Amino acid sequence: MTHDLVVKALSEGKFKLLDHEAYQLLEAYGIPTPGYRVVSNYEEAIKAANEVGYPVAIKVISPDIMHKTDVGGVVLNVSSDDEVKRACQEVSSNVKRLAPYARVFGYLVQHMVQGGLEVIVGGLRDSIFGTVVLFGMGGVLTELYRDVSMRIAPITEDDALSMIKETKAYQLMIGYRGMPRRDIYSLVDVMVKFSRLMMDNPQISEADLNPVIMLENGKGSYVVDARFMLKPK
Amino acid sequence: MATELLRGESGLRGSSIDALFHPSSVAVVGATPKQGHVGYVIMVNLLGKFKGKVFLVNPRYDSINGVKCYKSLTDVDDEVDLAVIAVPAPVVPQVVADAVKKGVKALIIISGGFSEVGDEGKRLEDEVRSIIKDSKVRILGPNCIGVYNAENGLDTFFLPEDRMGRPPKGPIALISQSGAVAAAILDWASRRKLGIGLAVNYGNKIDVSESELLEYFAENPNVKVITMYIEGLKYPGEGLRFLETARKVTQVKPVIVYKAGRTKASAHAVASHTAALAGNYEIYRGAFRQAGLIEANSVREMFDLAKALATQPLPRGKRVLVLTDSGGMGIQAVDTLSTLGLEVPELPETMQSMLRKYLPPLAIVRNPVDVTGSATDEYYKIVLDSILPTSYVDMALIIALMQIPGLTPNLVNYIIDAKRYGKPMVVVSFGGSALMEKFNDALESNGIPVYATPDRGAKALWALVEYSRIRRMLREEVE
Repeated sequence: MTHDLVVKALSEGKFKLLDHEAYQLLEAYGIPTPGYRVVSNYEEAIKAANEVGYPVAIKVISPDIMHKTDVGGVVLNVSSDDEVKRACQEVSSNVKRLAPYARVFGYLVQHMVQGGLEVIVGGLRDSIFGTVVLFGMGGVLTELYRDVSMRIAPITEDDALSMIKETKAYQLMIGYRGMPRRDIYSLVDVMVKFSRLMMDNPQISEADLNPVIMLENGKGSYVVDARFMLKPK
Repeated sequence: MATELLRGESGLRGSSIDALFHPSSVAVVGATPKQGHVGYVIMVNLLGKFKGKVFLVNPRYDSINGVKCYKSLTDVDDEVDLAVIAVPAPVVPQVVADAVKKGVKALIIISGGFSEVGDEGKRLEDEVRSIIKDSKVRILGPNCIGVYNAENGLDTFFLPEDRMGRPPKGPIALISQSGAVAAAILDWASRRKLGIGLAVNYGNKIDVSESELLEYFAENPNVKVITMYIEGLKYPGEGLRFLETARKVTQVKPVIVYKAGRTKASAHAVASHTAALAGNYEIYRGAFRQAGLIEANSVREMFDLAKALATQPLPRGKRVLVLTDSGGMGIQAVDTLSTLGLEVPELPETMQSMLRKYLPPLAIVRNPVDVTGSATDEYYKIVLDSILPTSYVDMALIIALMQIPGLTPNLVNYIIDAKRYGKPMVVVSFGGSALMEKFNDALESNGIPVYATPDRGAKALWALVEYSRIRRMLREEVE
């Protein structure tokens, strides 16, 4: 059963969900995301930042920008009201300069989760096997190391855990060289729920939850950024 | 169009594929007196070995080598369970139509020249599909090498016996996507007396697919282990069917798969990280894991594992007794065992002091137990009888280098005797003497698998542990 958010985005001719739509979809499936607000100017942004709690990330919302960071559309670690104002102005002028074609719908103000281990959870459609769920180590070297594992959706909790254990990232989660143990079962939960989301919404052609930030054991995992590509069925 | 795609999926046509493997009568369509031709080799093989009736069909002959030859399948004045078709592709649709009219239960279309060569071949395939649409006849192929069944002598492998040996009856079944690979495997297995009693290659699979073959072998009581050589699945959505079938089959018997074609990058568009990371092979590997298939890294490894799974009981844990007459070989075994997640636990002090009483002073009794180059058969017996039946170990890897003077073929009896403890054993025996050959043969014919190197023996034990895990469906847990 396709979610209303996806139906609506498709009817508007979108090929991907906007950030806040992506977070809403994740929330609808019980997948944790850091607190966020959608605002249209810096005054609203300051109010929002105080509500979700500093530090925050300020991100441009535009249906026309694929990689926000490439056009200076993201400012991270914003930690005071003054900085929020400056970040909004910076994002706005960057986007005007580097992506003049882009329609800007506003800004996303999102609480930043600190000090976790970054991993990726993804989904894609394969012509032979149907829906495939991917798990891998996060960060810039992801594609170099190819430390990934995959399963065919829907996946069970056991599938998710065996996917995690197949990768070297697992060693980091269980306390490599004195690193804190990560909340592995909360990641399992994210993966199982995400697999259900992919099964329910066949119009999503590809999806990345990148990064998912794993906190210390008992503190959960949060999807910090998500990308859902759409294709009408 | 949709029904055409479904045709390649298993079980949808309902009727049994048993006639492909256990027919009471076989017709060779395209039988010929011309030596070296495919139809000739199949005819000779079946007339010489098949335990059932054989009919020859070819409109150009009244008899071949003194055996009556029929003009067409419909002329045969008896029931035909299976027709093996080795005629040029353009003639195949007519032969299939005759087979349907005659009520033949199954066809093996050996002939090539179908979808693998282009549009005209694809058209011929579609024509064959439409001819069988409303019938119960089942088709293996086209463009395949067919079936080998050591039990009843059904053999459509069109390679002469002096070029390709045939393996003896045995508990291993082979499903191969490649005909040439299947033929080479059977030849190799025959030289090693490895019991691949059933083998099948399915070619373009316009009807019977690997999923249905898996299901069929799962139900065959003579098959203990199924091996699969695959390069890739073919029809959209077919992977899910394969996954579901394999999931069921692996709860009944072990299935070992070797997938070739691992390095081809996926053709997915790279709009996302996920797509950039998703290689075709990684998807297969994930599906294999979910289905409980045991993956091998080469053809040789596939049969290394099959040999152990066909003969050994399943271990109840991961702890291995390594018993060796060479320290170096013992270390190699431990290296591989630990890399694979198996354990080589130090024996408790009580066991060590008991072993010290019976073994020479230089022997190492911690585990690996090293009975050294001055070992005799008796030392092996002492260690096996005192350690294997205890709760400290779940299986044994026995290294016996027959180069040392104290060992004799009688060691075989001590090892066979230890089977009564109900724990898996594999033997590593490396060298080239006639004595060693005799030792290895005696072990293997008594159901103890032998490997040339410690890493191969260790991997075989891993496969047993892996299948134990699959069968017991243990919950995954964080360490």
